[in-house]
Amino acid sequence: MHPFLDRRQFLGSSSLALSQIALAHLLGRDGSLAAADADAAPLRPHIDPANPNASRQPHFPPAAKQVLMIFCAGACSHLDTFDYKPELIAQHGKPMPGGDKLVTFQGAQGALTKSPWTFRPRGTCGKMISDLVPRLGDLADDLCFIHSLTGKTNTHGPGENFMNTGNTLDGFPSVGAWTTYALGSENDTLPAYVAIPDPRGAPQTSGNCWNAGFLPAAFQGTDFNATHPVRNLARPNAIPPAADVATRNFISRLNAHHLQRFPGDSELAARISSYELAARMQLSVPAVSDISGEPAHILKLYGADATGNAIQNTKAGYARNCILARRLIEQGVRFVQLFNGAYQVGGEGVSNWDGHKVLQDQYTVHGEIFDQPTAALLIDLKQRGLLRETLVVWCTEFGRMPTFQAGASGRDHNPAGFTGWLAGAGVKAPFSYGATDDFGYKAVENVATVYDFHATILRILGLDHERLSFYHNGLERRLTDVHGHVIHDVLA
Amino acid sequence: MFDPDCLAHGLNRRRHLQTVLLVTVFCATAAPAACAQIDLQKLPPAAQRPVDYKADIQPLFAKHCVRCHGPQKQKGDLRLDTRTGTLKGGLRGPSVIPEKVQTSPLLIAISQLDAELAMPPDDEPLSDDEVGLVRAWIEQGARGPDDSAAAGPKIPWSFHPIVRPAVPANQVAGTLPVDAFIAAKRQPLQVPPSPAADRRTLIRRLFLIMHGLPPTPEQVDEFVNDTAPDAYERLVDRVLASPRYGERWARHWLDVVRFAESNGFETNRVRQGAWPYRDYVIEAFNTDKPYDAFVREQIAGDALGADAATGFLVAGAYDLVKSPDITLTLMQRQDELADIINTTGTAFLGLTLGCARCHEHKFDPVPQQDYYALQAIFAGVNFAPRPFRPRRTASEDQLLASARRDLEQDSAALETLREKSRRTSGGGRALLPKVNEKLNTETFAPIATTAVRMTILATSNGSEPCLDEVEIFDRDGQNVALASAGTRPSASGTLPGYEIHKLAHLNDGRTGNDHSWISSQAGRGWVQLDFPEPRTISRIVWSRDRASRFRDRVATTYRFEARIDSERWQTIAASEDREPFGPDDPEAFLKNLSADDAARARELQTRLASQQARVNELSSGLNAWLGTFSQPEPIHRLHRGDPLQKREVIPPNGLSLRLGPGFPGQLGLSGESPEQERRRKLADWLASPDNPLTPRVMVNRIWHYVFGTGLVETPSDFGGNGALPSHPELLDWLARELIDHGWSLKHIQRQLLLSQTFRQSSAPQAEGLSADATSRYLWRFPPRRLEAEAIRDCILAASGALDLRMGGPGFFLQIVEVDNVYRYFPKEQFGPDEFRRMVYLNRIRQEQDSVFGSFDCPSGNQVTPRRSRSNTPLQALNLFNSPFVLQQAERLATRLEHDAGTTPAAQIRRAFLLLNSREPDTFEIQAATELIQQYGLAAFCRALFNSSEFLFVF
Repeated sequence: MHPFLDRRQFLGSSSLALSQIALAHLLGRDGSLAAADADAAPLRPHIDPANPNASRQPHFPPAAKQVLMIFCAGACSHLDTFDYKPELIAQHGKPMPGGDKLVTFQGAQGALTKSPWTFRPRGTCGKMISDLVPRLGDLADDLCFIHSLTGKTNTHGPGENFMNTGNTLDGFPSVGAWTTYALGSENDTLPAYVAIPDPRGAPQTSGNCWNAGFLPAAFQGTDFNATHPVRNLARPNAIPPAADVATRNFISRLNAHHLQRFPGDSELAARISSYELAARMQLSVPAVSDISGEPAHILKLYGADATGNAIQNTKAGYARNCILARRLIEQGVRFVQLFNGAYQVGGEGVSNWDGHKVLQDQYTVHGEIFDQPTAALLIDLKQRGLLRETLVVWCTEFGRMPTFQAGASGRDHNPAGFTGWLAGAGVKAPFSYGATDDFGYKAVENVATVYDFHATILRILGLDHERLSFYHNGLERRLTDVHGHVIHDVLA
Repeated sequence: MFDPDCLAHGLNRRRHLQTVLLVTVFCATAAPAACAQIDLQKLPPAAQRPVDYKADIQPLFAKHCVRCHGPQKQKGDLRLDTRTGTLKGGLRGPSVIPEKVQTSPLLIAISQLDAELAMPPDDEPLSDDEVGLVRAWIEQGARGPDDSAAAGPKIPWSFHPIVRPAVPANQVAGTLPVDAFIAAKRQPLQVPPSPAADRRTLIRRLFLIMHGLPPTPEQVDEFVNDTAPDAYERLVDRVLASPRYGERWARHWLDVVRFAESNGFETNRVRQGAWPYRDYVIEAFNTDKPYDAFVREQIAGDALGADAATGFLVAGAYDLVKSPDITLTLMQRQDELADIINTTGTAFLGLTLGCARCHEHKFDPVPQQDYYALQAIFAGVNFAPRPFRPRRTASEDQLLASARRDLEQDSAALETLREKSRRTSGGGRALLPKVNEKLNTETFAPIATTAVRMTILATSNGSEPCLDEVEIFDRDGQNVALASAGTRPSASGTLPGYEIHKLAHLNDGRTGNDHSWISSQAGRGWVQLDFPEPRTISRIVWSRDRASRFRDRVATTYRFEARIDSERWQTIAASEDREPFGPDDPEAFLKNLSADDAARARELQTRLASQQARVNELSSGLNAWLGTFSQPEPIHRLHRGDPLQKREVIPPNGLSLRLGPGFPGQLGLSGESPEQERRRKLADWLASPDNPLTPRVMVNRIWHYVFGTGLVETPSDFGGNGALPSHPELLDWLARELIDHGWSLKHIQRQLLLSQTFRQSSAPQAEGLSADATSRYLWRFPPRRLEAEAIRDCILAASGALDLRMGGPGFFLQIVEVDNVYRYFPKEQFGPDEFRRMVYLNRIRQEQDSVFGSFDCPSGNQVTPRRSRSNTPLQALNLFNSPFVLQQAERLATRLEHDAGTTPAAQIRRAFLLLNSREPDTFEIQAATELIQQYGLAAFCRALFNSSEFLFVF
């Protein structure tokens, strides 16, 4: 059977005689479900093989049509950014109750340690946010915090997988792949789903973060950034433009000629249309990636003019990626995934937020790179009216400990409580949901899981996370597995 | 509609609730203070008629409750889709007590009398009439059928024994049973089969499907011109006999078992030595290894003389990042074992056993206990390399022999230089090498004597000297020191208390530390060997530990003496003849050499090191990624799969379900069974001819890879959530054929390939398309896009670059940046290594090949029983612009010029024969000639690699 045709289409495309054969077959598999709860039956989007990323309707009216997901690789500490804990400041230097028995990822705990950065009230709402991210702090009135996220693992690889794909193991479809599988794209000249890696390199589980897993390759994220274009996109230098055009035309003629022998073959038609979209992408992707036409005040707003040393150069690179993200959202790309921080380049915590040993020194660098461009991206999206239909998600693999590690000046991994935030279409702002305990160690109020986080993202897109599914190897697979509850309190 | 009365009623009822105290429920499970005070008088009245569970109650629960309390979900561990489940209840205890309205929590919940417990929580409440029906049902005794069996999943069709079905009576002469089964199912569609495909199409189809490579133009010609009636049969035989067949079909199996050559996760390091498993699979297909043996060996090959096969067990991703956090470590181990169990279940049985890790399987009769019984079978498997010696080919034997020759020549040359150096340091006298623990030889002029004495005056580390053997040779080369020859040992004293260090070990012919003598004095001592009669001797060989495990206690200052008469001894050898003992310094001897000799010696030393490594590599094998095995701890069932919530101990076992008469799933193992026996028993059970799943699953895989869609379209899921077979009789007939023909996979493939069903045309027909658009009922051969590997291999074959070296370590398509965390960057230049078949690609998890990865190529993270077939713009860009394809287009152009000269028409004709196995038509020649004349031959080649016809099998 054609991989894109589900059973209902299969039935629909067949004659009565076949339908009778097929009916028993279908009932054998669907009968019990259909009878018992038709409302809960899996929803598999209808995919046109010739145009797999055609725009599709969500399950119910959506609050947002596009997603910008910003991921801080390395586990960005909630305690040094957005989760203000006066008691941690008060108890600074004392042992954490029960901390002596606690063994976290790298081992034993030292004393409770307040953030090296001061928290101040921000915006008109007065939300306490640290001096590490002052410009994002200025946007507090636009942000919807979830302070009670919990993960399932305290290791980077599985943690990064979990936040980006809903499963700690390698090889499951990413949030963006699920989104484009469900909704396709509003733009037929750009990829439906773009992943923008950090200028310092790919995130820790690399292509896993934007892969299609067992979904068809059409829903895989296309990875490029402001520095590294889409691989194999450009006409090769050795080939003159006229030869390129003539070769392409020849392929079209050859394929059309061949198709006459197989009229109506949808897979062959899909092959032909993939070349047409590729040709459009060759024009549209360089155009959208070219930020040279951005005015000086925009470059300055993002910090894309930063220069002078390696840190400022990285900041400028990340800022250009942020501008690229805005331009993609502007063009109607369904899902844009922006990474801040890379894999472990140059040692632990040097190129990402993994501040185990020398947190203050490393985070000073990361905050400088991250804060201004990210804030500018939100400001720019808002001033262009793009937040009305775009959901912005900020997340990381897990949080960090309120203690410093024994014998070190940094924080160990902590999946028991951490912060993510949402902004833009469909969410309440300013708003804070859930809380960790007095020290910021464990989520204790309105505890939320990564599944809940994903369920909420899908809900804002108009998708029922319990029904959006794809049959793979014995199961109707979902982004949220068999878990997840929409966090209704954060919905606008 | 807004009804003020309803609202008032609601308010009244709520107020009433707070003030009236009549009945207390739920006190059994909740603290008294929290007990709801319920006014039972507010319950809707019971229906005044006999209530039937099937007709009245079950549909009502199905409508309101089963979404959360049914087969899909069991909130609060409660199922309301059966009567048994309803009575049994959930976490809060029974939900219904027959005849006891006031203690039946379910009734309180659906009547909305308590806001905390009101059900359903989000949807419309049940109407008073509906609640009245439930009330009446309970009052009447909650009667209904005993449906306890229905509460669990049904036994899937695939669990039933395989009975050989009769071939349908419609079999036409000259067709195979396969055709009769297909025709019988196609008959209701009233669509005729398609005519036979022409020979060019047929041979190309056969090669692409069975080899993943196109036939050469010469092979096509030979077949087209073969007028013998059995031309096709002989072609199929040749195709199945080719080693290209095993390479192609091994790739399919590697998909099914999630094989890749990096560890995945954060560090994603290259997995060294995983390739022997790939070679094993390729060889298994090529030699038509019986499938039952193939199954057994992958589970327990270490017990069956097929070591490489256990690569199956550990082929999945493996998280190298370890932590002192015990929870993390336990969870990682659980994930590893789940990967093995799930892959075993899906690959061999078509069962998603992994689903039972946290709870009873929802679709298949696999209770949670079964999962942990299987875990106890695999719990001794560790993700680690183990020493492995691959079988060498004849050419590898030659390589080894020549490497050894080089090594010996260079060693001899170096030894000459060493001797020169010793001669210099000995003032013209050649010194012997310094003593070592392993072997020391003394030679001297022949002397007749009745005894030999060795006196030791110093040792390497100052402790008591040790000798594992002293051998004394006569002129015939006989060791006359042996006790068995009558020689008696004596000594200054022997270290007391050690059975392994006795004086008798000195001349017992056995060597090594466990058969040695140690002196009773630190740093000194003597031993003497008395012959039964005079001997003429000329050589002594002695050692401390021939096995080289111990390097202490070596005699460094010593002398050997021979007795001349009762009074006198003569020194025959001594440590002064040797280079002084000292730490190893490979450079030391260079000091005594001339500059030229020293340079030559250095060069020899460098070369020897690499020659030695080469010889080691060729002769002693490697540490291969095949897993190691250890006796496991007892395995517990884990509540909800949580390693911190251990429940009862579960002994190793198979499935609790009986698969057919006389074929229990029980394996007769216990918690004490040795590790290997556990896997052997499971292997035997999986590969038993009485196991209905194993053969069904495998013949279906073959069908899937030949026709593009399986008879069961979910090839690794034959359970309750999988698809039903489109042709169940055919499936069973093939499964029986497999068993009855010695589990020969080639036999099954022959049944398919020789059928008219396979040999028919793929051209569309209007009536076929309208009746069966997806060709599932095979009124034509269904065309489809080739997979990533076949496309790449076909390009290389067409350009002539293809390198058919088989086996051994694979090649990389990425530059590997080695650090704590590995990174991979796509290669842009390609040479002979990268021109091997793609099955030999070292597949890196998370990092797909930059050209062909986008063709739905699995990354080896999860099992892939069936690949998607996307057609995407990235595929188009990669084929159109990548350096690899452009390089191959240039190579093809060069080949065309070589093969066909300079005339475009001839070049075009040759290209079509190479790529598409057919002649071009006039339109194609004309259009291609224009392109070539204007933009060159390479432009045409680039285009052909991008043409639909080249990328599809028809």
